[in-house]
Amino acid sequence: MRTAARVLALLLMLGVAAQADALRQAQGKQQASRATVLQRAQQELTSGRRVEAKRLLADAADRFRSVQALLLLSRVQSEDGDAAGALESLRKARRLAPNSEEVLSAFAQMSLAAGAPVPAVVTLDALKRMSPSVMQYHYLLGVALMRVGDRLNAVGALQAAEQLEPNRALTLLALGIAHNSLQQYAEAKSVLSRAVELDRGNADTLAALAEAEQGLGELEAASKHVQQVLAGAPQHATANLVAGLVAMDRSQYAEARAALERAVQTDPLLFKAHYQLSLACGRLGDEVAASRYLEQYGQTLRGVQKMIDELRMATGPMGTDSVRR
Amino acid sequence: MTRGIAALLAFALAQGTASGNGGFRDVTRDAGVTFVHHAAPEKKFIVESMSGGVALFDYDNDGRLDIYFVDSLTVDTAGDPKQARSALYRNLGGFKFVDVTDKAGVGHPGWGMGVCTADVDADGWEDLYVTGLGGNALYRNNHDGTFSNVTERAGVTGGGWSAGCGFADYDRDGDLDLFVSRYVKVDLKQLPQFGRDKTCQYRGVPVQCGPRGLEGESDFLFRNEGNMRFTAVAAQAGVADPSGSFGLGVGWFDYNEDGWPDLFVANDSGANFLYLNQKNGTFKDVAFPMGVAVSQDGAEQGSMGVAVADFDNSGHFGILATNFSEEYNSLHRNEGQHFTDVSFKAKIGAISLPFVGWGTAFFDYDNDGFLDLIAVNGHVYPQLDKVKLGASAGYRQRKLLHHNRGDGTFEEVAAKFGDTMIEERVSRGLAIGDLDDDGRLDIVTNDLDGAPQIIRNEIADAGNWLLVRLKGRGVNTGAIGAVVTARAGSLVQKRLVQSGSSYISQEDKRLHFGLGKAEQVDSLEVLWPDGTTTAMKNVKVNQRIEIPQPQ
Repeated sequence: MRTAARVLALLLMLGVAAQADALRQAQGKQQASRATVLQRAQQELTSGRRVEAKRLLADAADRFRSVQALLLLSRVQSEDGDAAGALESLRKARRLAPNSEEVLSAFAQMSLAAGAPVPAVVTLDALKRMSPSVMQYHYLLGVALMRVGDRLNAVGALQAAEQLEPNRALTLLALGIAHNSLQQYAEAKSVLSRAVELDRGNADTLAALAEAEQGLGELEAASKHVQQVLAGAPQHATANLVAGLVAMDRSQYAEARAALERAVQTDPLLFKAHYQLSLACGRLGDEVAASRYLEQYGQTLRGVQKMIDELRMATGPMGTDSVRR
Repeated sequence: MTRGIAALLAFALAQGTASGNGGFRDVTRDAGVTFVHHAAPEKKFIVESMSGGVALFDYDNDGRLDIYFVDSLTVDTAGDPKQARSALYRNLGGFKFVDVTDKAGVGHPGWGMGVCTADVDADGWEDLYVTGLGGNALYRNNHDGTFSNVTERAGVTGGGWSAGCGFADYDRDGDLDLFVSRYVKVDLKQLPQFGRDKTCQYRGVPVQCGPRGLEGESDFLFRNEGNMRFTAVAAQAGVADPSGSFGLGVGWFDYNEDGWPDLFVANDSGANFLYLNQKNGTFKDVAFPMGVAVSQDGAEQGSMGVAVADFDNSGHFGILATNFSEEYNSLHRNEGQHFTDVSFKAKIGAISLPFVGWGTAFFDYDNDGFLDLIAVNGHVYPQLDKVKLGASAGYRQRKLLHHNRGDGTFEEVAAKFGDTMIEERVSRGLAIGDLDDDGRLDIVTNDLDGAPQIIRNEIADAGNWLLVRLKGRGVNTGAIGAVVTARAGSLVQKRLVQSGSSYISQEDKRLHFGLGKAEQVDSLEVLWPDGTTTAMKNVKVNQRIEIPQPQ
């Protein structure tokens, strides 16, 4: 379409009126038929005929090279759980409109949702430069950086998001989790306490706050918050992890073992829980279980490290945390 | 006029306080120490960023602590070993030192790393062991101010890239054996290219490669066969580390108090080792079940230095390991059956996160009866100053000085002591000792690619003290591995005689007790390495004593 517009402008400039008029008419017809197809797709969606809607949108995307159709198609694919298809539609949209903020934003968000944080990091870093005052880009970049293991830069991005839109509970939660992962427990507690004030019912926030409190040795407070979470979500991974850590601190190894086993059942990638579980079993005298959990810890750690190393290798300058770690 | 002088005097005193009166003073230049450590300014290769150690030992038996600094080469000067000159400084008293390196014959041309000392040949004179790249050296003390290199005859050359070392009588046959940790495999002709790929980058900036991505080296254990001859037994003893972890700091101590020396090895970018002595010439790594292998969240850390001490006066020896930046320095309390990571509860964890830690030691700098803690720092990448730092400190970093509050927590107080403690440097080795025998512990560092620091402890209101030198019977004349327990009122403190500690360094082997206001030590008990004990009652404070092991 852009090429057609450029040709039209060129023809007008050159004074070739007849050809310009013909081209203008053709373009108008194309726009009308594209609008019709999009409208039909919308109607199919409203009627619940999603397969037909997707077919129409794909057709419009192909025939008219329509970015709008591709954006809509990716949204529908995403809603249907087809993350790969949604990402592919957005890749096509990026090829058609490489500098469209709308397309880049959708692509970054979809990448994150589809578990592909590397392209999300690269795209969000570009978006952040294009529109430095948009809080959402900093926030999502922080989340994406956490996913690739670059916790330090994640904190920076999330702090920028917090400055642009202070007291947003989601940002504070992400920032608190990032601080916890860096063992900056005092900083984590500060932001997570604010997040709890803003969103009292959020189990993830309370669990993250409890983790910070446990890190600071405030076992009573940590225990209280953990119990609040577990009352509503008995399998909550972080809450069970913290419950286990608090019990370890109190030398209550049987309780620690039970809580940590619940934590790894919910989140098998939680290598911190596997490690502490091996210690708890060892201190209970169950050497067999201690060895088993130690082995599982090693496997989980190696798996997570491999994943992070691959992600770091794939990212650009943003994703390069300390190579020694 | 009088008022003017008084004002000037008050001003001078105030200045003194600000710069550490009642504190620490850098006396390096006044002491006559002119040693400068060598390393390439850009540190393009990992081998240029890890040296060097420092030793405090009395080489001439005049009762004063002397100082030995280890020097290193660079990739460019590697072909000319004499470009590196380690240095021995004789303590003349009054904080004056003189360079006696050439006379002593311990210039150690070559690529030096670490150092440890012990009376290896049981003649009552301290010998010197220096580790490095391409072979280590054992210098035998000739009792006349000179040393002889007896490495080859003794069979302790090692080879490869050795780092930490420490002597201990692991088999309890009476003589001193030697453990040597090694770091990564290095071929100076085929070094990994600076910044070659993303494994050699730090936040997008090209830096030296490693240790991740490079091959690690195994470790050595040399059993003393007597008559200054050793046999390499690491593999059969189970401490060879065939997987090639990146070994650095070393600490021999009997963690489970069964009378047999165990061994902690700090590994960079990997799990640490805690070798349990199985009393039959073999060891078993129990670091994971004991809880000292990794951080409390299960992450492998880049451990460099080691300090072992009864820091909480519990009667058990705990462990402090210094770590890479964004990894906390880990403090492990010994619970008797296992260790607990108390880094954050003790309030030393969070503040250490920005720093790359190296030399470290527990020492009671104010003689209040509670062991304080020091860690010296400095990054490995000079290029770091060109990048966004985030939470990290820069290439040059200040020291961390943690005052023990006596309640299980520490307070970081370096800034209270002025420039000497907070000046940003690139430190590596650290050794603590009483250089002027005034009962206040002094500090010596070896900095990478620069001058060292001799820091005099001038705390005016320090408490009472006792300095104990042990004289073992038999061949372990320095009583390495002995433990002394001092009771003074409600204070009960334990100290350990160690060879090799901190970051590839050697501390004063005399045992220092801060005693606060106690006017006597009610009882002093020595547990000798052979299991025998010596007890003393009502020992006067503020003195140096020597306790010989009964024959």
